[in-house]
Amino acid sequence: MKDSDVLLVDPPKLSMGDKFYLPQVAKGLGTTLKHMFRVARGDHKVIQYPEERREDKTVEEGGINHATYRGVHRLNKDEEGRVKCVACFMCSTACPARCIHIEAGESPWEDREKYPVKFDIDELRCIYCGMCEEACPVDAIELTSLYDIVGLSRSEMIFDKEKLLRIYDETVEREPM
Amino acid sequence: MGPLESILNWLLANIHWITLTFVMHMVVLGTVAYMILFERKVAGWAQDRIGPNRTGFDFGILPFLKKFKFWGMGQSFADGLKMLMKEDFRAPGTDRWLFSIAPLSMIAVVIISIAVIPWGGSFGTRHEAVDVRPMLDAGKTLPEAIRASLPPSRKLLSDVEVFTLSGVASTEQIKQPIMTLDRQIRQKGEALAIPASGPVLVSYTDGWRFQIANLNIGVLFVLAVLSLAVYGVVVGGYASNNKYSFLGGLRATANMISYEIPLGLTILCIVLLFSSLDLGQIVTMQAGYWFGVIPKWNIFAMPLVFVLFLVCIHAEANRAPFDIAEAEQELVGGYHTEYSSMRFGLFFLAEYAGMVTTSAVCVALFFGGWHAPWIDYLWKGLGGGVGGDPSVTDSILAGIARIGVFFSKTALILFIFLWTRWSLPRFRFDQIMNLAWKMLIPIAIMLVIGTAIAVFLIHAVLKGDTTDGLSPIEAAVLLGMNGLVIALAYAGGAFFTAGMKETNHRIVVPESRYA
Repeated sequence: MKDSDVLLVDPPKLSMGDKFYLPQVAKGLGTTLKHMFRVARGDHKVIQYPEERREDKTVEEGGINHATYRGVHRLNKDEEGRVKCVACFMCSTACPARCIHIEAGESPWEDREKYPVKFDIDELRCIYCGMCEEACPVDAIELTSLYDIVGLSRSEMIFDKEKLLRIYDETVEREPM
Repeated sequence: MGPLESILNWLLANIHWITLTFVMHMVVLGTVAYMILFERKVAGWAQDRIGPNRTGFDFGILPFLKKFKFWGMGQSFADGLKMLMKEDFRAPGTDRWLFSIAPLSMIAVVIISIAVIPWGGSFGTRHEAVDVRPMLDAGKTLPEAIRASLPPSRKLLSDVEVFTLSGVASTEQIKQPIMTLDRQIRQKGEALAIPASGPVLVSYTDGWRFQIANLNIGVLFVLAVLSLAVYGVVVGGYASNNKYSFLGGLRATANMISYEIPLGLTILCIVLLFSSLDLGQIVTMQAGYWFGVIPKWNIFAMPLVFVLFLVCIHAEANRAPFDIAEAEQELVGGYHTEYSSMRFGLFFLAEYAGMVTTSAVCVALFFGGWHAPWIDYLWKGLGGGVGGDPSVTDSILAGIARIGVFFSKTALILFIFLWTRWSLPRFRFDQIMNLAWKMLIPIAIMLVIGTAIAVFLIHAVLKGDTTDGLSPIEAAVLLGMNGLVIALAYAGGAFFTAGMKETNHRIVVPESRYA
């Protein structure tokens, strides 16, 4: 290491109270006591989860920002109700967790060549990074703000195409494309 | 009288302290269970949360209780149940016997030390001048006669005073305990010349102490027994056959042994002052007021001693900011890394029960124990005063209220424990050792010497007596001594560190990263 790489910083000068340490302890205790009184006044950050939910609150109150929240995926539909996905495999290529499995088939429609015969997302493997959403050239896959998904088995948590399209139907009103 | 009958008689005669033992231990263990909930609550409050508030008493099997939450009061039971139901795992390679004994020894030691806490003074009645002449005439000796006139089931709370009224009254005091009555009467036999006729009067106070074991060396007992708790820690760490556990155990040993010295020295200050090792007596001497307003508690006379004591009991309990024995970031869990289920639960329980005990000792030494300030002006029974002794009250209700007072004060100290844990960062190991050996021990020694000089001055110059409680002027002398010790400590610190180069004087920061 060269001398020019070294930055010399003077430590802060200790006052008499700092050297005695106990006054500073009292100061620290005062800080936490202030917070305790704040909680006693009802000024705390707790959301009583099953009764109060983040999606019912505004962003300022600590609620979910629906535009950016990364929850369960959905497969978008176009105006005619067809799946928007063109089975280009961009999302499954981008996926760092390798949780998207697509089987492509020849599209029955004129305006595209392929469509997904099967489209499975393993929601247990998924890390909800949103890379699939970024990668999609036709905005077919999106992350919704649903977060409380549960299942009794692993196989139940592998969401297929029908389920992902159903999530679109459920969430499209709250979160338009 | 058959054996069963004699056992029953013995039980009936001792029922009060059997009940007291059972009730006090249950109360302390219940306190410990709720301490764990309280700890989590305080943690929440300090972090702008509200802490556990959901677990009621339905436990999933009592649906009619489900709609009441009881502010999360069921959490303690749920925690305990979890501890009991978990797998009791012992890793291969651990020492089978030591591994099991360590938590047991720790909890046993802590529970034993609860026995000498004077929870609430005494409940008793005064017997003025019982005439033992008929028994003397029946051929009994004086000790036998006195013993026969005392009720069998209750404890003696005061000196037995024997005096005769014929001719020149000769008044003698025979000190408790009753075990040595014979010897003391024999020693004072000449002074107690019993006249041939006329009444021989015996007066005494008897009753119950709200204390499981009335040891006259209570302070020493607590110190001795609580220092055994270190064995639980070090044996647990050693038996786990795990580097982290062993390091945790060693650190805990060093920590506890180091801080026992200033702890003992601070207690020695109080002992010097009152020349008594009996916790109950130390409390009694603090019951009263200076100028009728300020309680005569030791904390007001010797605040520095109290601060040192508080720091030391924090270290003794191995809690933040002295929790290097557990040090989650470095040692996983310290000495209890390998423990699970109720064996871990016992360590946990012992930690909190130890806190309750040391807090209770702190209350007895510095906060006047059962003495409820200013309330005893309104409620005379709470102030006691049976037979001239403020610790003895003649109302059982007042006795129970005094236990409540003691507990509330203990709860306050326990809150300080939790409060510091969630406020202060942990010390480094060398900082802990520096604090104990370079600061606390010298200051504690100065305090002991200062107290000794102050007590000498009070006796020699002021013609006062500290062993019957402190008068305002005596308290002022002690307070001045405390202030002097702070000044001396600061001056000494400045003197000894004058030529020393400060460590960490300049922090070297690579420019490539921070410039």
